[in-house]
Amino acid sequence: MDQTFDEETYAIETRALVKFYGRVQALRGVDLAVKRGEIFGFLGPNGAGKTTTIRCLLDLIRPNGGQARVLDLDPQKNPIAVRARVGYLPGELHLDENLTVESALHYLNRLRSGKADWDFVRHIAGRLELDLKLSIKNLSKGNKQKVGLLQALMHRPELLLLDEPTFGLDPLMQQKVLRMICEAQEQGATVFFSSHILSEVQEIAERVGIIRKGVVVEVAQTEALISRSFRRIRIRFKQPVDTRDLRQVPGVEVLSQSDGTSVLMQVEGEMDRLIKSLANYPVLDFETEHPSLEEIFLAYYQEDAHQE
Amino acid sequence: MFTVLRYSLSRMRWQILGWGLALALIGAYLIQFFDTMVEMRGQMEQMLSNFPAEMMAFFGDLSQIFTPPVYLHVEFFSYMPMILGIFAVLSGSGLLAGDEEQGTLDLILAYPISRSAFFAGRFLAFTLAALLILMITWLGFIITLPGTSIDLSVLEMALPFLSLFAVLMLFGALALFFSMLLPARRMAAMLAGLILLASFFITSLARIDPDLELWSDFSPLTYYQGGEAITGMDWVWFAALLGFSLLFALLAGWRFLRRDIRVAGEGSWRFSLRPFRMAKQAGG
Repeated sequence: MDQTFDEETYAIETRALVKFYGRVQALRGVDLAVKRGEIFGFLGPNGAGKTTTIRCLLDLIRPNGGQARVLDLDPQKNPIAVRARVGYLPGELHLDENLTVESALHYLNRLRSGKADWDFVRHIAGRLELDLKLSIKNLSKGNKQKVGLLQALMHRPELLLLDEPTFGLDPLMQQKVLRMICEAQEQGATVFFSSHILSEVQEIAERVGIIRKGVVVEVAQTEALISRSFRRIRIRFKQPVDTRDLRQVPGVEVLSQSDGTSVLMQVEGEMDRLIKSLANYPVLDFETEHPSLEEIFLAYYQEDAHQE
Repeated sequence: MFTVLRYSLSRMRWQILGWGLALALIGAYLIQFFDTMVEMRGQMEQMLSNFPAEMMAFFGDLSQIFTPPVYLHVEFFSYMPMILGIFAVLSGSGLLAGDEEQGTLDLILAYPISRSAFFAGRFLAFTLAALLILMITWLGFIITLPGTSIDLSVLEMALPFLSLFAVLMLFGALALFFSMLLPARRMAAMLAGLILLASFFITSLARIDPDLELWSDFSPLTYYQGGEAITGMDWVWFAALLGFSLLFALLAGWRFLRRDIRVAGEGSWRFSLRPFRMAKQAGG
């Protein structure tokens, strides 16, 4: 059944994408929609299906079910047209070790019919502090990663698919790369990137998708996800209180309590019922704290572990 | 496709020069040695008469070794399928699977090049590399021909190389096809190498053992003429070897277009060994 896709709005859309590797099901129905011009962070631990999803979008592997659209095109029917408009950084980058950086980039550029502007290539290489004359076999892991980033950016693609873009880079270089990704977006590119480093996703991604065991379990605005998922609340009371009633409020978990005058709790969902319950208590102070994306991410996986 | 072809040929340049020059030097030496051997005919005939039949079977008709076609076959072309077969099997099996196992294919195929164009570029590069190795070797032979009593034209001298080319293409394409079916390049190389070795022994031993004649009909090297091509090239055999090469290449290409590309490393068999392991554990 062919479902309609919103091609005007989305650079990437997948519906019920399924992929098996032999008897192992890597994707169990991935539904994603990445808006044109946004930076979308794709989070998940190893083996969750991030790389498999990206590789399906480039027709490097063929899904066993579901549909995908990339820049209005079906990657299986029009793989060349899709790849011509996409810059891709693999999660495991391997380059021909016998070439210099410059000759590797020239070869890759020829595969794109020489689309790259060589002044732009030198400019990016300069910012990445990458010497184009060096032989690839002599490069460190971080420098090889820079070559990978450079080849993905050099033809100014409409869509960047970056699998762990800052992997192997030092913190300063990570910041530079994140800036470059933002600049690519400012110039009109859509960026879809996977990462383990949650702080960087939080820093640049407008929306985040969380994938768990081959299923996208959450897609939301980064800020909204952080604000709506759970909060940590510290309450101080004027005198020692019995918190048994508070513990009964749905979504509330008391994390610690000291002297009966101070309690730290975690609240999932809306605060309304907790606040109404607190009306019966002598509250002195009330502090809420939003969790980091990292805590939200871990919460998804802890939940999963509990289910198991 | 031409970008891939140029790149692949450039990557194979040292192999081409290495194999080509080494074999050209052997060829030049053998051509020069022909006249010396003819001068020592009496001693050579006495020596050859003491060789066991099993050994003679590998080299063809040694009684005619003092004629240039048989001399060249015995001294060079009879074992060249085994020697250059190593190049064919290793290059063929690594043509796509080598890049895939190194992890470079994942990036290249994310570029706007079709799998069929990439395959064609790679296979054409292998074909040209085999041709160039044989051309350099052929040059080694013909440059030294004028100083000897061997009366062969450059075209006649090219015929055994054409026969050898067909064999190299067959085993290269076979190794390529296996590399698209099997999970690892080394398995493909090993299987194609075993078939090459088996073919060499079956075809050679069928000359002295009539029981092997039926088997030798299915052995690719039976249709390889080597030096015998100088006196009468069998173009049907030549076309048949190339035809099967093309068939295996097309099958390899068909498989390449449909399969998933691995990120890197070797693949694995799709069947589970769990029942065997469980049975072993239960038994042990």
